[in-house]
Amino acid sequence: MISNLNISFQDMTKRNDKSKPVFKTGVNPYLFLLAFCFLFAGPLAAQQTAQTDGMKDNTPSVHALTGATVVTAPGQAISNATLVIRDGVIEAVGRNVNIPADARVWEMNGKTIYPGFIDTYSNAGMQDPQIELERGDLSWNPQLRAQLRAVSEYSPDEDGSENLRSQGFTTAMSVPPIGIFRGETAVFSLNAKPVTERVVQPSVAQSVSLGRSFELGFGYPNSAMGIIALIRQTLYDADWHLRAHQAYRTNPEGLERPESNAALAALESTVQGEQPMLFEARNEEEILRSLRIADEFGLDPWIRGSGHEYQILDILSEKNVPLILPLAFPDAPDVESPESALNQNLSTLRHWYFAPLNPAKLDDAGISFSFSTAGLDNTSQFLANLRKAVKHGLDSETALAALTTRPASLLGIEATHGSLQAGKAANLVVAEGDLFESEARILDVWVDGDRFQVNSPTEVDMSGEWEITSAGGNIDGTLNLNETRPGRYAGTVTIDGEEIDIASSSSRDQARRFRVDFPGEELGYDGMVRLTASLSGDELIGWAEIHGVGRFDWSGQRVSGPEEDEIRQVNVTPRDLDIALLRPSMEYGRTAVPEEPRAVLVRNATIWTMGPQGVLDGADLLVRDGLIEEVGFDLRAPRNAVVIDAEGKHVTPGLIDAHLHSGVSGVNEVGNAIVPEVRLGDVLHINNIWMYRQLAGGLTTAHVMHGSANPIGGQNQHIKMRWGAISDDLKFEGAPRTVKFALGENVKRVGTDRYPETRMGTREIMADRFRMARDYQARWQEWEQNREGIPPRKDLRMEALVDILNEDILVQSHSYRQDEILMLMRLAEEFDFRIKAFHHGVEAYKVAPELAEHGAGAVVWSDWGAFKIEAYDNTVYNARLLHEAGVKTSLHSDNSQIAARMNWEAAKMVRAGMDPEDALSLVTINTAELLGIDDKVGSLEPGKDGDFVIWNGDPLSTLTKAEQTWIDGRKYFDLEEDAALRDAVEHERSELIQLILKEQS
Amino acid sequence: MKFHTNITTGKAMNRQAEKFYQMAAGMTRTLLWSFLGFSIILLSSDLLKAQMQIPAPEQDSPIALQGGTIHTISGGVIENGTVLFEDGVITAVGVNIEIPEGANVVDVNGKEIYPGLIDAYNQMGLYEIGAVNMTLDLNEQGLVNPNVMPEVAFNPESRHIGVARSNGVLVTVSSPAGGLVSGQSSALMMEGWSWEEMLIKSGTGLLVNWPSPGNEDDYEEGLQMLRNTFDAARAYKTARKAMDEGEAPRHDLDTRWESMIPVFEGERPVVVNANDLRQIQDAITWSEEEGLRLIILGGRDAHLVASHLVRNEIPVIVTSVLTSPSRSWEPYDGRYNLPAKLHDAGVTFAIAGGSSAAYANRLPYEAGAAAAYGLDYDEALRSVTLSPAEILGFDDRVGSIQAGKDATLMITTGNPLEYSTRIEQAFIQGRKVDMIDAHRFFYEKYREKVNQRAESR
Repeated sequence: MISNLNISFQDMTKRNDKSKPVFKTGVNPYLFLLAFCFLFAGPLAAQQTAQTDGMKDNTPSVHALTGATVVTAPGQAISNATLVIRDGVIEAVGRNVNIPADARVWEMNGKTIYPGFIDTYSNAGMQDPQIELERGDLSWNPQLRAQLRAVSEYSPDEDGSENLRSQGFTTAMSVPPIGIFRGETAVFSLNAKPVTERVVQPSVAQSVSLGRSFELGFGYPNSAMGIIALIRQTLYDADWHLRAHQAYRTNPEGLERPESNAALAALESTVQGEQPMLFEARNEEEILRSLRIADEFGLDPWIRGSGHEYQILDILSEKNVPLILPLAFPDAPDVESPESALNQNLSTLRHWYFAPLNPAKLDDAGISFSFSTAGLDNTSQFLANLRKAVKHGLDSETALAALTTRPASLLGIEATHGSLQAGKAANLVVAEGDLFESEARILDVWVDGDRFQVNSPTEVDMSGEWEITSAGGNIDGTLNLNETRPGRYAGTVTIDGEEIDIASSSSRDQARRFRVDFPGEELGYDGMVRLTASLSGDELIGWAEIHGVGRFDWSGQRVSGPEEDEIRQVNVTPRDLDIALLRPSMEYGRTAVPEEPRAVLVRNATIWTMGPQGVLDGADLLVRDGLIEEVGFDLRAPRNAVVIDAEGKHVTPGLIDAHLHSGVSGVNEVGNAIVPEVRLGDVLHINNIWMYRQLAGGLTTAHVMHGSANPIGGQNQHIKMRWGAISDDLKFEGAPRTVKFALGENVKRVGTDRYPETRMGTREIMADRFRMARDYQARWQEWEQNREGIPPRKDLRMEALVDILNEDILVQSHSYRQDEILMLMRLAEEFDFRIKAFHHGVEAYKVAPELAEHGAGAVVWSDWGAFKIEAYDNTVYNARLLHEAGVKTSLHSDNSQIAARMNWEAAKMVRAGMDPEDALSLVTINTAELLGIDDKVGSLEPGKDGDFVIWNGDPLSTLTKAEQTWIDGRKYFDLEEDAALRDAVEHERSELIQLILKEQS
Repeated sequence: MKFHTNITTGKAMNRQAEKFYQMAAGMTRTLLWSFLGFSIILLSSDLLKAQMQIPAPEQDSPIALQGGTIHTISGGVIENGTVLFEDGVITAVGVNIEIPEGANVVDVNGKEIYPGLIDAYNQMGLYEIGAVNMTLDLNEQGLVNPNVMPEVAFNPESRHIGVARSNGVLVTVSSPAGGLVSGQSSALMMEGWSWEEMLIKSGTGLLVNWPSPGNEDDYEEGLQMLRNTFDAARAYKTARKAMDEGEAPRHDLDTRWESMIPVFEGERPVVVNANDLRQIQDAITWSEEEGLRLIILGGRDAHLVASHLVRNEIPVIVTSVLTSPSRSWEPYDGRYNLPAKLHDAGVTFAIAGGSSAAYANRLPYEAGAAAAYGLDYDEALRSVTLSPAEILGFDDRVGSIQAGKDATLMITTGNPLEYSTRIEQAFIQGRKVDMIDAHRFFYEKYREKVNQRAESR
């Protein structure tokens, strides 16, 4: 094998000379470096357009690899096989293959050959993307870059292909890396040829991210929900762009020419479902979000995951979409001191535990996936992590399939890639042994028939005993060496019976050079004795230098060693704790949502129905099939009913919080002032301990709201606190759509260059948008009548505004001062709609009669105030006065902690002089009415949802706490279960921390 | 400010009020607190007075509250008892008390009497509107300000005083904030024309913000600065003493270190704001090393080192009971039951509010939550009355109903920690407090608007 060295070096320079004219003028250092790994280059058999310059390279490119175990495809291994490559393509593979007469023969006894790996989500060639696009028919939004194509953007300089090859990859799908719509992916061969000869598939999928790239600016959208809104709008726009241009081409006369937009044009086949949409999902929630978008638009989705997929096995198994997995595992959480361990939460510890188990969990659940190098800090971690995954239970055949046959078929290149069969591209990995179950090194990777050396099989190891003879006999003796790390040695030299420790010693693999220094004092010399040599087989041809003596030749002959290196076994601490998958994957998470008993009967309680029945003492509540059937006395328990004796206890409807911001990925879209198209429902997440704590305080329903940065903010989301369900299932079925408006200080102070900066401007921009919406609606109505010319564009922002004007979306407006409250009511009246409720309304009491007259409700704090100037005139009597003035009034928390004790918020109103039932209505039925869900929740009346709380006393007493919280007739919180869960949490944390310590020791 | 402008329009408004409140004419006016809920009917002159919130004059004749249930805190509960106070000081508590001639006897039969609540840590008087910097006097320049005293910046006109008072908080310990050594805290009563009149005790503690252990290097640096500060102050004290005793030449005065001498002499405790386990542990060892009287403020993780707190007799001022645990694995009631855990372990503690002056009125609810989650109801009450006074060294003045103490107490319809209870009348140093506050003023004013609209229909 060594003999090949001299040939390849020459060939390499010649070939590059031809393809890169610049090389003629001198040595290009980069290509020179490249040449080291590119040990052998065959002639270019493929048809090329490039003219030959200089000497034509016709080095034969026929190879026969013999004697290895060839894994032709997952689960199919042929021992002692021969694999023949001709002109970059496999000609034959098998045990009884004849070696062609023109082939170069490569002895590979003991080696294992795999099909070359395919990286299904790579940044190869994409390291230095164009940031600011300046030319052409660009989209208005810099995050929309769908027109960029990996095949055109591929930069071969430092493209990362060498690192990928070092991990066994021979093919990669490159994904444009920045923006929201990032561009079109392409599949490349990881050879060292010009890009024209690397392209395997120029057009594969359109890539989209649910995150944005800050390098492209900070404008709209800058929130998770804004990004989804923009994706949604862009998909509509792409469809419109297609139809508008069709209409215009059909008959352009008299028509206004539609916008020409490269990004939208590039998305045409994706919105028609013809080209896949590849979603980059950075966590499990983003997968769910991606799937929802795909469903909504009938897209063909591919998902690039994050390693958190074990949390949604059920969904992935049901959806069965192409899944691309990264193999990036988190570092162990810091548990160095007991105090730092105290601060590690269970979701972090659990993810550390489960991340390497993720592929095995998916495979066990029957979910197919391909691997990628995405998410790795360093590509060179890939193999190590792959082996970890295998060691933690992933079947090695599946692992190989996820790197070969599966990606090949996903990318549509299975005819040429993914397995070692005659006729396929000669892409292969030569390893010392089993790549998956041992630490076997990759020796060579072959790409399109070109061999790239990854690790030298003939690495110099000087370990052992050597006999030394020198010209003058000064240093005749023996040398004993032990390799301490590759190419470094410790040991002794024994001369004239003196055993001397060597000072330093090293060897170089490719140069075959050896060096050793040892102190000469014991032999009677001053200073160091210094020996160097060139190695040839077991012989050393050396010269030496001794201070004061001079320089002379010496020779060495191996007497023994080195010992054959065993391939190291993968050494991984087993992760075999008895830890269940939980939803959410954190403290107090559940293995499943609670069971729904056929019926529930709560007996002998003081029941606050909050309906016409009032408060009943010694009464019963019957819930059947999740709905309230009856409240009354001495009710009969249906068969199989869960019967709860609640003597001495109080029962109320589940509490409702009208204004909450927890459990969502971001609450403000500040990029534009008017953004009713963004939806909180798009970005719910369940990794939210507050939900559990809120349940513990009797909260069953919440209105999750957009922030207050925008005069017209996004659409809010009603949720039920179904702890243990996926985010989609938290949504309150049948709730009306609502939108957040905001007035006053917050909208003014967002930025120096965003309109508005005054309360005056706040009114004007709202009025302006309402007029735009009216015009938009009119334009559509005209179109619907004659359907001629270019169809109007569907504008989700305008559609939301139209819905607001039509009261199909209810307005819930953040407000503080009386002037702004009055302003918005009058503005709404001008446009003939009503404001459903003013939130915070610190000065709402000052305009109570006007609110009552307009029909707006008030959703206020119990006692917040004075934290800013517009909150200075607060009063704890706000709710009471509003209530007395006939304004429908509710309390709200606007705070994750306070949401966990809304009963006490209501109780404060009793101190302010309200009747207890009126006070409780502020967090139950009134709240339900102002949120438009009083047909389902807010009171204990027949037909409503079985949402109730059992309290250990008067819910408005300072001494009371919730004992059980039920939603839809299912028990989501129980004080006794909570006590058991605390112990379980403690136990699991402790076990995980111990495992980290064990792994680190 | 609206308060002032309203005075000019008061007349017109009061005419309307008079009209509306005619129906109240027959009602008893002598005992304002005898009405249901908040339907205390205000006469026009009361409304005008309400706007002004005039501090009451000093007590000029003995007052006897007779027939109520007296919760003395220090001496049990006295049914059907009498509290007698003269010149602002309680002179007798019990049954069969001899009532002096000329005493104003108030029948409080069916009512309860409690000492005023004490907020052991607050920014009352120093904080008006959070986001309006010029209304805040909290953080002095620099990291080390042991000499600053809150009373001199205490604004008796602050709206928050009346609001907290109406909820039974009659004494505040106001404190500066920020830096490493924030300054001193002082106890003030919630009634008076000026801070001078209101002051109960100046310098109840020296506030230290224990460095955050989040980053180990920063923690080291912060602790080094803290140690250097105390070393410098101690060296100053030694130098001045040597000078005074003629053993050393002149050493010029240093305002900062001079103010710390009482700390080294054990007269003034160091109140260390520490929540994290490490902070509390390290503050304990530090106070031992330095020989200081330590009080832990905050104390989120105090239950984890309870035995050390007990052994070293270090009290804790718990801030924010009504909050959630900082670590997601901790039980949902981990903060609600912190006082109970401390009490069970034998730690001396007080409960304070969440520090914002605007929310000092929530103090009874903070203690109430502790009672819901395992703390004995009487202990909860003690933790906002006598315990803070004892911990901060002004229990000779307030904290319980006991002869010789200030007549700082209140007549209520029940336990002041219970939401349904109303604080009907407070006396501070014997002065009968005007129970109107900014919140109620706004209610009354805009209730009038509602009435006018109803009438014009």
